[in-house]
Parts: sequence; C-alpha cells; structure tokens
Amino acid sequence: MVLEVTAKDSDGKELFKSEKKWFEIGVDPDRDMRYGAWQIKGIIDLTLPPLTTQREQYLVHFDTDIDEVTVEAKLWYYLSGGRGELVYEEERTLDF
Amino acid sequence: MHPALVRKKNLLIALLILFACSIAQAREAKTLAELVAMFDDKQCAECHGEIYSQWQGSWHAKAVNSSLKGMRNFIAVGLAKEWQTPLTKAQLLKCLDCHAPAVNFASEELAVEIGELIVTAFEEKGSAQGVRAAETLAKLNVGCYSCHNIKANGVAPGLRGAPAEKVIYGPNGDDGDDFHQSVASSDLQTSAFCMQCHGVYHAPDGETIQCNTLSGSYRHGYLAAGGSKSCQDCHLNKGHLFPGGHDLETVKEGLGLRLEVAPYQHLPGQITGVKNPADWVPSAVITAFVDNRAGHRIPDG
Repeated sequence: MVLEVTAKDSDGKELFKSEKKWFEIGVDPDRDMRYGAWQIKGIIDLTLPPLTTQREQYLVHFDTDIDEVTVEAKLWYYLSGGRGELVYEEERTLDF
Repeated sequence: MHPALVRKKNLLIALLILFACSIAQAREAKTLAELVAMFDDKQCAECHGEIYSQWQGSWHAKAVNSSLKGMRNFIAVGLAKEWQTPLTKAQLLKCLDCHAPAVNFASEELAVEIGELIVTAFEEKGSAQGVRAAETLAKLNVGCYSCHNIKANGVAPGLRGAPAEKVIYGPNGDDGDDFHQSVASSDLQTSAFCMQCHGVYHAPDGETIQCNTLSGSYRHGYLAAGGSKSCQDCHLNKGHLFPGGHDLETVKEGLGLRLEVAPYQHLPGQITGVKNPADWVPSAVITAFVDNRAGHRIPDG
C-alpha cells in the first residue's frame, strides 16, 4: 500500500513528491529475504496495524514566485503483480 | 422390547455407523474424476443456486489455478532443489490441504499426478498441454464440501470428531430434505474456522507454510486493540463471493484517508535556494491520515 503526496503549481509542474509504503518482508531462518511460502519463517512488519491511524506529515516550502499550489494525496493498494488500485484521493488548492 | 435389549440394539447401530464412517474416511480416489465426484459441488447448485453462483465468482472457486506460480515453485524449487525431497501427497498437501482440501482423499499416485499437473500448467502456460493441465486443475478448488464438510470440524477436532461423509455442516443446520443430512455447527461462524487456512499453515510434520499471516494480526493486533468482529462479519457481506483484497469496495471499507493542509508564509531569509531571499516563502504543512479499519494488518495476504 502506498500513500503518494504531491504538490504541483498551476501549470502542473511537480514541486514536491513523497511516497510512504506499507509492506512486509518475509525472511528465512538466516534472515535472508524470501518470497516462497515454504521459505518464509519470519516477517519484518512494515504494514499498517489494524485499528490504527498513521499520520504522515510534511513541511514544504515553495519558491517565492509561486501563487497557487495543488496538493494531492492518493492511497494506492497493490495486489500481486504490481497492479495498483487507487483507493482514495483527496485534493486541496492553496492560494498564496 | 426390554430396555437392556434396546440399549444393546442402539449400541450396535452406533457401532455400525462408526464403522461405516471410518470406511468412508479411508476411501481414496484413484482418478481425478473419482475425486471430483466424491465432492461434487455442482449438485449443491440444484438447491443453493444463488450461493453457488456467488461462489463461482470467488477466489475460493479458483484457488488452485490462481496460485499456480507459488505451488509450482514449491514443487520445482522448494522440494526438488532446496529440500531435495520427492513430490509426495504429504508434501503436496502443504499447499493443497488449503487450496484444494479434497486432495486429502486422493491416492498417493493421484496426488503426485496433480502435483505434476501444477508444474505443467505453469511451465507450459499457453501451450495445448499447459491449457489441458489448467483445465483439469480447475476442477479442484475450495468448494462447498471443503468448508461444509472436510474442514468443518477442524477448529475443534478433538471435541467434534471427524466430519461424517456427505453430511453438510453449517451455521443453521437446515435440513437438506432427502438430499443430505445437516448438522448445525457454530464452528463455521468463528474466525478460527477461516484461520485454519488464512494464517501460517502448520503441516503435520511441523513445517510452516506462510502464504499469508492474516490470522496473526487478527489475533494479536485487532483483538488486542479491542476489535470484536469476526472474519465473516466483513468478508461474508457479499455472500459466498468472500471479497477481500481483490475487491476495491472491500478495500475501501477497510481503509480511510484524510488530508489536512495548513498553508502559511515562512519568514524571509530563512529558506535557502528561493528566487527572492528577501520575500516571504509560500509554505504548507501537509498532513495525511491513513486509517486501517480492517481486522488485520494491511497489506497482507
């Protein structure tokens, strides 16, 4: 799962971009990363735990000649094979 | 009849039933056709058409062919190369006890044949041979009998005993008229029932197979945080379609996103690299809140 946060100027030029990923890493007994279900004997848990809210916060400075910024947050859910589904998106327009 | 004779007669009948059941449980299919006939889900559709139709669209209905890559890798890489162990029924059941529980009732030879079909279907994908193998394997899945019979007593096998042949276990125990005997079982409504497969799988020889770990975070994350829903509360909301991560609507129910933005002008002279260092700097604090409302970690599976 990926949270993608971007800020763009009025021409659509990207001024800021950040991605936060939630996932788990399967490891074998030697702590080598593995994908095979028979190989994985432990996990490193970088997922979003149940019944929790995670806060991602960014302080962003734009250039002095910027007068309008569109901030967009997109939450993607990835199934196996790298196919992402857009779950939610929110947008704010800022006037300076 | 004298009460003692009635008791003896009843005991004899009970023993005969037990004997018949033990024979039934020992029965092994020697061909795939025989195995499919033993647990023929199509006959369920005659009375339970809507449920059968929902199930046909589920991932349970394609539990073998949707996981060919992982199972082929277990056989061709895990067994053959890493463990240097021959393909046997016991080894194959480390996948198929969950992906096709009926295989528990396959003969050793048939199970090995099914394992070889899995390798062929994946490695020869697109060829006539591969297509034939996949078509054959499509007859194996997590079907009606998988949950309502084969795995029905798996939550508490000591307490419930082995499931009896042809008996349908369900939450209400509705009578199947003359077609099947029904037994009411609350077990199927518990999360523990789903966790037989949707969690770390423990094979009889002690090996663990970790396809997904939903049950771990359900037990130790969700319940520990005060959650009280069962798997069925969310994943049975579209009937036997059992939607999960493949269903965007279900994913949306389990997640939340909120964006807060606080714009302001930063003091001049403090931010380097701007065009006019003497000017105020347009700035913003951007905060995104991501909620996991599901009963398990996200992502998983």
